[in-house]
Parts: sequence; structure tokens; C-alpha cells
Amino acid sequence: MHRKEGVLRPVRGNRIVAILAAGGLTLAAAACGEAPKESTPGSSTSAAAAYKACMVTDTGGIDDKSFNASAWAGIQAAQKEATNVDPKYVASSSEADYEPGLRNYVSQGCNFILAVGGLMGTATTKVAKESSKSQFAIVDSGSESPNVYPMQFATQQAAFLAGYLAAGYSKTGKVGTYGGLKIPPVTIFMDGFADGVAHYNTAKGKNVQVLGWDKKAQNGSFAENFGDQNKGKSITQTLVSQGADVIMPVAGGTGLGTAAVAKDSAGKVAVIWVDQDGCTSAAQYCDVFLSTVIKNIEEAVKEAVVKGAKGETLSATPGYVGDLSNNGVSIAEFHSFDSKVDATLKSELEKLKADIIAGTVKVESASAPK
Amino acid sequence: MSTATVEELTEVAAPEPFWSRQRRLGLALVLIGLLAAAVFGSLAPSEDARFTLSEDAEGAALSINGQFGAVLFGLLALAAGGAMLAGLARRRSNVLLSLGILAFVLSFLCWQVAGNFMPLVDTTEGTLQLALPLILGALAGVLGERSGVVNVAIEGQFLMGAFAGALVGTMATSVWVGLISAALGGVIIAAILAVLSIRYLVDQTVVGMVLNLFALGITGFLYERLMQPDAQTYNTPPQMPEWRIPALADIPVVGPVLFQANLLVWVALALVVVIHFGLSRTRWGLRTRAVGEHPTAADTVGIRVRGLRYLNVLLGGVVAGIGGAYFTLVATGNFTKNMTAGAGFIALAALIFGRYTPFGALGAALFFGFAQKLATYLSAIESPVPSQFLNMLPYLATLIAVAGLVGRVRAPAADGVPYIKG
Repeated sequence: MHRKEGVLRPVRGNRIVAILAAGGLTLAAAACGEAPKESTPGSSTSAAAAYKACMVTDTGGIDDKSFNASAWAGIQAAQKEATNVDPKYVASSSEADYEPGLRNYVSQGCNFILAVGGLMGTATTKVAKESSKSQFAIVDSGSESPNVYPMQFATQQAAFLAGYLAAGYSKTGKVGTYGGLKIPPVTIFMDGFADGVAHYNTAKGKNVQVLGWDKKAQNGSFAENFGDQNKGKSITQTLVSQGADVIMPVAGGTGLGTAAVAKDSAGKVAVIWVDQDGCTSAAQYCDVFLSTVIKNIEEAVKEAVVKGAKGETLSATPGYVGDLSNNGVSIAEFHSFDSKVDATLKSELEKLKADIIAGTVKVESASAPK
Repeated sequence: MSTATVEELTEVAAPEPFWSRQRRLGLALVLIGLLAAAVFGSLAPSEDARFTLSEDAEGAALSINGQFGAVLFGLLALAAGGAMLAGLARRRSNVLLSLGILAFVLSFLCWQVAGNFMPLVDTTEGTLQLALPLILGALAGVLGERSGVVNVAIEGQFLMGAFAGALVGTMATSVWVGLISAALGGVIIAAILAVLSIRYLVDQTVVGMVLNLFALGITGFLYERLMQPDAQTYNTPPQMPEWRIPALADIPVVGPVLFQANLLVWVALALVVVIHFGLSRTRWGLRTRAVGEHPTAADTVGIRVRGLRYLNVLLGGVVAGIGGAYFTLVATGNFTKNMTAGAGFIALAALIFGRYTPFGALGAALFFGFAQKLATYLSAIESPVPSQFLNMLPYLATLIAVAGLVGRVRAPAADGVPYIKG
């Protein structure tokens, strides 16, 4: 009896381990599972055929407070405008999930299949070429396939304004930026930012320095992570110790470490947030956000879905390019910094924005959509 | 330590080969010293490298000509290596080795900082900040592994601690309640690890990895479903206050780093001393080592092997949980999914690199912290040295250590072997 007990123990143990592993993985997946179904009452649904808008998220999941969340919000907003829209999404937990996710929606007969994020570019083009009858769309990437509607953003234009603002606001004459990873959707912010500072220097004859990014060499500070706040804090402290007093982290959750440093600095350090207005997406740090470089993914996705639902064609060329002129990118209002940014700087920013739209000031980036 | 005495005896008894450990290390030092003096010296511009004694460019500074400094410290490293090669100061070979490595690092810094400045307070503080969770994590590992239980779940314990600290700390609006919950969070993972590996004899590495997955899954799920929708109620933990010890805090560089700090800094440093003393001088420590090295023998003399292992693994859970608290209660004011970002695995590396001893773990953690801080510093001053290289330094150092190139890393003999009374 005693011996049998000894033999069986590891077996039971392994069972428990298997349960733990399965439980952990299920919970991880459940966190980004199906959204609560919102039934659409009313006769309009039956009047028009349902337009299935299906979205495959990037690995960040639906609640990433960044582009996945924005794109999903866009689809939901579209549903309010065109009630025959039937939204669905599936979350990718790794890059290997992109293709199966897209294919699955093809076989489910989705009318509009949205891929979110530049990393999904290759997978989307591949699946779109296989199933030429389905309509695809992608955020943050171009595509060679004619049935993919690309939605890209000239983020460098808004980042340029942010750079100008930072240079004008800085008291130490040094501003800083760092990225999550050295990939085009990140470095496009940093390029624009550095150019905006350079523009300020030529216009004013000043010498404000940018720490953390060298546009010419395309090299700078990177956290190698989008969720490591401690690392973000450490990088920020280094930049601050080098003299920077305005910092723009382009690093998702890692950037919250920057906001924490700014909060501790009692007003000495200001932060420029990215993607979604910081006062909405990271509201607890609203006091430290000088402004935000906004990428209006929500609006772009909404428009595309509404167009599709109304039966209009979504043409792949030129697709959608969000820039300052169509409010696809912008800089947010100054919130608590409103009184600290002087009026001349504000009017210069307005002027600069008009100049960029008119094309008299050109902002270029190697990572910009072509 | 009993094992150390045995090694020393054999060293005396056996005739040493000419290329002893000391000579091999000496040769390596001579080579890197030469490299530093020649390469760093020739690349360094002949400008002043300023090391300011403050958090920024202000205040007093130690200043040295970059080129001169790079060559000087390179030669010093070479000299230290030469002394080891010549067989001088055999008993003090570790001191020579440390001095040599220090001189090499200084030579490198003189090259990089030339024409610029490095704020020493910021560098030291940043090093300690990045090292702090690693110290606590590695100490948790020491407790478990010295008694024979492999703990790969440090990452999971960190996450659980960070999560529990943030959640309960916010709900109770007390940082101390948060700290205690963080410790409990670590203990939960430790308890599962202990039961599965000690009672159910499951492969300990597998259990550890599974627990990491489990912690990641459950904290991620609760974060998205509970914390994210209502951050005000569940995810705004109070921050641990910084305490200043008058007089001591005025010492340059060391003062503001060590004596104007939060409680966790002192807890971590005190634990290093306490665990070291405990392991080497107390009955508990002797028994722990006995259980980790030779459980059958320990059992024969009446030590409760499993009981002691349970106790140590759970104590380790407390320590690692407190390490997790650092992420949410000290470093930042909120929890995010997978925010520990692999720190638990670096702590594991620090444990091995530190040869399973508390002071070794402290040294390794500080070294890893310094490498990370230096990487961010170098990329901020736009150094030509790729930051990726410095980012991989901790792992490279551990590989070298484990491969046995620098001394021998020996795990406790019964580490990872479940004890079956039979």
C-alpha cells in the first residue's frame, strides 16, 4: 500500500501541473476572448444584410490602450452609424496566429477583415492573395494585394509639431525620446520629433538638443520592450540626468515608467504621450502630459467600415493616409499645461500645422508611408 | 563552509598544474588590459571625462583626460593580470581579479565619457534600482536551492507579488498592507511549488515553468477584467515613502543612494547579511546545507528533510514576493500585464553567477544592474557601442560562469532531487 502510494504520487503531481498549465493558458487567452455580444434590436438589421466586420488583433490584445483598442473602438463606432455592421474579433497570442486568424474569418464569410498592426503586413498580403474575393484592410502597413485597403498614418507630421512644442517648452535646452523597439511604426515618431526640434532651432537660432534619437544615424535609446515600466523609468532617469526636461516615450506600457518619473519630479519633467490622448488612456498621469501625438486609428477604421457597409468600394490605391489635413494625426490639447505653454508658441504651432498641410514645410521620414 | 574546506585540502594535497585558475585568469586580464590601453586609448578623444558627484551635470566632479584615463586604467588592469600571472599574492587572487576588472571598466568609461559627463549619483542609484528586484529574487533562489529545491518560478512569484501588492494596496489604501499581500502572493506560488516538488515529486524545473505561465495567465486575466476597467479602485497603489537618514545622507554619491532611500533597499541589503549569517553560522543554516547536499545523511541524524525544505521554499516565497512589491509599490504606481518582463530569469542567472551564495548573488545582481544602466546611459549619449551588446552582457556573463571559464559554479549536490524516504 505504502509503495503504491509512492508510485502514484508523481502521476498525481503531473496531473496537477497539467491543470495549472492549462488553467494559466486558458486565463491568458480568456483575457482577450470574445467581446460581449451586443444585439442590435430594430428592424434596420433585417432590412439590410448583415455586414460582418471581423478584426484580428496583434499580440497586444484588445485592451492594449493603443492601436488594437483604437481599431476595435472604430468598428464599434461604425456599428452605431451603420446598424447592419456585425462586429467580431479574435486576439492573436503570437505571430503564428495571424494567418489562421485571417483564414478563419475568410471561411466564416466576413465582409470586412481587418488586420491590426504593421507586423501583420506579410500575413495579410498572403491570405488576401489566396482569397481574392474577400475584402481586407490593414492598419499601419501597405499591401501589394488589390483587395487590401491600407490605412496608414503620416505620424511624422504630428510628431514634428510635438518636437517643435517640446523645444519651445524646454527650459534646459534638451529634450529626449526613446522607443520600445526599433521598428518603423516607432521610429517614425522619433524622426518627426527630431525634425521638429531641428526646425525650432533654425527658426529661432537656438540649439535645443535631442537625446535618445539620432535621425541621421537612425540609432538611439530603446527599451526592447513595450511593457517594462522599470526599464522605462531607468531610461528616463538617465535622460533627465543628461539634462532633458521634456520626454516622449514611444514605448506603450514601458512609457508609464516615464510618467512615474515625471510625477516624482514635481513639475520639472514633462511627458509627451503617443497614440491616444494620455489624459484618456493613462488618466492617472494626466498632470504630467504636455501633449500627445495622436494617431486617429479609430476614425479611420470607422470610416472604412461604414463605407463598406454602405456598399461603397474601398480602393487599395491610395487607400487611407491619415495626416494633419484630414485629422488622421494631430497633437492633443495641452490639458493642465494649457496655462504653461505661452500664446506665441501656440500660434506658431497653428501656423506650422497650416504650413505642413500646405506643403511649404516638408516632414520626411524613412519610415513614412509611401 | 564544509565544502570549501574539502576543496582547500585537495588543493594543498595535489600538485597544481602550471596553468592554474589564477594564471588563466591572469592571462585573460593581461589581454583585456592590453586591449583597453591600446584600443580604448587610441579611440578616446583627448577631452575631459567628467564624473559628477550629483544627479546631473551640476556640482563637484572628478575629472580626467579621457585618453590618458583609458590608457592608465588599461595598464592598471594589465598590471593586475601580470601580478596574477606571476603568481603573486596567491591568497588574494580574487582581490587582484576584482581590481583588474574594475580598472578595465574604468578604462572603458574614460573612453566613452570623454568630452561628456556621467552623473555618478544617477548611475549608482539606477544600478541599485535595477538590481533591487534581482537581489531579492536571487535570495529567494538561494533559500530554495541551498535546501535542494530548484526554483525557476521566481518570475511567477514576482508577478504575483507585484499584482497582489498593487491590488490589495489600492483597496486598503495602505502601502504596508500592500507589502504584506505581495509577500503572501509570492508565498502562494511558493506553496504550490513546494507541494508539487516535495510531496508529489514532479520535475522541479517543469513545475517552475508551469507556475510562471500560471502566474502570467491569472494576473493578466485579472488585470484586464478587474484592474483595467476601474483603475481608480483597483490599480492605484500608494507609493512607499523615501526616508532620509540625516548626516549619513550627506556623504557624496553613497549618501543619497543608500541613506535617502525606501525601506526595500535596506530590507534587501539586510537580508543578504542575515541569510549569509544564517546559512553559515546558525543551526538552521547548517541543517539547510545538509539537506541540500546530502538529504539521506541529514535524515539519518534526525533532521526533518521535507519539513525544512517546505520552510525554506516558503521563506523564499516571502522574499520573492517582496521583490515583486518593488515593481508596483516603489518603481511605478500601477500594475501592468507581464510588467516584470523577465526580471525573474535574470535573478535566476544572478543566483547561479553568484555561486548560490547571498553575497555572490548581491554582487551578480549589482553587476547586472550596472550593465543595464550603462546600456541606457550609452544610448542616451549616442555612444558608438551598440546598446544591445550591453543588454546581453548579463546573459553572456552567466554563460561564461556556467561553462566554468571563471572558477567553478557548483550547485548543491541534491539540488532538484526530491527526497524519498525509503
